[in-house]
Amino acid sequence: MIKLLECRGVSKRFGALMAVRNFSFSLLTGEILGLIGPNGSGKTTLFNLIAGVYVPDEGEILFKEKSITRLPPHKICRGGIAKTSQITMPFSGLTVYENILVAALYGQNLPWREARAEAERVLTLVELDKHRGELAGKIPVALRRRLELGRALATGAEVLLLDEVMAGLTPGEIEEALILLLKVKKQATLILVEHVMRAVMGISERVLVIHHGEKIAEGTPAQVAENPEVIQAYLGKRYA
Amino acid sequence: MIRRLYLLGILIIGLLIFLPLLGLEGYRLRLITLIFMWVALAGCWNLMSGFTGYIDFGPVAYFGVGAYCTSLLMIKLSLPFFLSVILAGVACAGLSIVIGLATLRLQGAYFAIATFAAAEALKQIILEGDRILGVDFFGGSHGLTLPPPPSGLFFYYAMFFFMGMVVSLNAIVPRTKFGYGLRAIREAELAAELSGVPTLRLKVRAYMMSSGLIGCLGGVEAYWLTYIIPDDVFNVMRTIQMVIMTLLGGMGTVFGPVIGASFLTLVAEFLGARFVYDYLIFVGIVIVVVILLRPQGILGKKV
Repeated sequence: MIKLLECRGVSKRFGALMAVRNFSFSLLTGEILGLIGPNGSGKTTLFNLIAGVYVPDEGEILFKEKSITRLPPHKICRGGIAKTSQITMPFSGLTVYENILVAALYGQNLPWREARAEAERVLTLVELDKHRGELAGKIPVALRRRLELGRALATGAEVLLLDEVMAGLTPGEIEEALILLLKVKKQATLILVEHVMRAVMGISERVLVIHHGEKIAEGTPAQVAENPEVIQAYLGKRYA
Repeated sequence: MIRRLYLLGILIIGLLIFLPLLGLEGYRLRLITLIFMWVALAGCWNLMSGFTGYIDFGPVAYFGVGAYCTSLLMIKLSLPFFLSVILAGVACAGLSIVIGLATLRLQGAYFAIATFAAAEALKQIILEGDRILGVDFFGGSHGLTLPPPPSGLFFYYAMFFFMGMVVSLNAIVPRTKFGYGLRAIREAELAAELSGVPTLRLKVRAYMMSSGLIGCLGGVEAYWLTYIIPDDVFNVMRTIQMVIMTLLGGMGTVFGPVIGASFLTLVAEFLGARFVYDYLIFVGIVIVVVILLRPQGILGKKV
């Protein structure tokens, strides 16, 4: 297995707050990596560092063994890493189809004809065909999350950083989302940030636990769930 | 329906081309030329601000620079008019890259303030440049006088040409890849960047297109009026008119600026003829009424 993505001692500080501290991990091609941690532990910041939204204060981020540390987000996206956001950011005034088309046009730099075909393929994959003509700002949350995923997929990314794709969904919708993620897995390597434990523990092959910006545990879902430090971070000292 | 609209469009274009041959002249010819200019200017503003959502509050900078470039090229180098106008447009596009790279990193009101400041600064440079450098170049507050212009008909067609170009761009751009990129920026800039859209580059490109064309229009107007002063060609009222005309007609639509500019120019003209001193009060009332009834503009889609 090759290291597809690697973080080496990455740190990010916001004023006095150390949001991510000396964080290292690597991602292997084809796996699903779960990233969990209590609220405010630095998960989203870490994603933003990888996607280029923030530049790390220290450390290096490598994609296919090349540094992407200081690249702007659109270059990182074109290189092959796409991120969905916790708070969905649809292009509200564009239709669902056009949202995905933009990602195909720019993310993969495809000519029109191929971009259209790619948008169709993704639209079918994330099961948004029926809603293609609707304005993205007017569809319900569950569909918006799928649209975020579709947009990320349409950029042709090899690594998808999925920030809480299941937040705010009903149990039935979570089930559908899990099935969708397993389909997506065939195309890309996934890192999931998720609060829905059942989902993240069920689907991830490996889990990282982050707390106060530091990595406190790493391993299979079962190993991590047993780890006293993890239990302490989530539930407090009494339960550890 | 679409077919009929096309037909109507061709009919209007044909009518506008042949109108002067049917005996349109004098005041009416001038008025229609003026409408062409404002439609073109509002359309230029729409190309940038309507599509990207970045409210440019300093387009007049390029109008003024274009007017001065054209005038100086014609006076000092005796270049022909059309060449001067095109060179002025190129100069404005170049200048807009410099200003755009600096200001387009700002968002919301900050961008508006920065562009407004840039326009005022340029006006001061041209006003005071001569005195500070001790030369006689820009003519300071006395302005510049151009060579005698051809007939009004010449400007009718010149403005018509630029208006046609701007309106066509407004119609074509949103269907291109470039246009989709701009609309994505308008709707959610960070998401656009994360989807691979090179946001800064596209914004600068849109700004260049808009500014270059505004510069050309400034050049045409300078020759039309034959006399320019900084207080007129850099007048902030011109910026405000471009903004209001576009908002009135519908921002981000193809024909919004056309309707808004025609409407406002005509209203101001007719009311101005009847109520010489206080017509602006009535123009204000008209704008308020339109905004109350259709906040998204006359042609704008309801969101």
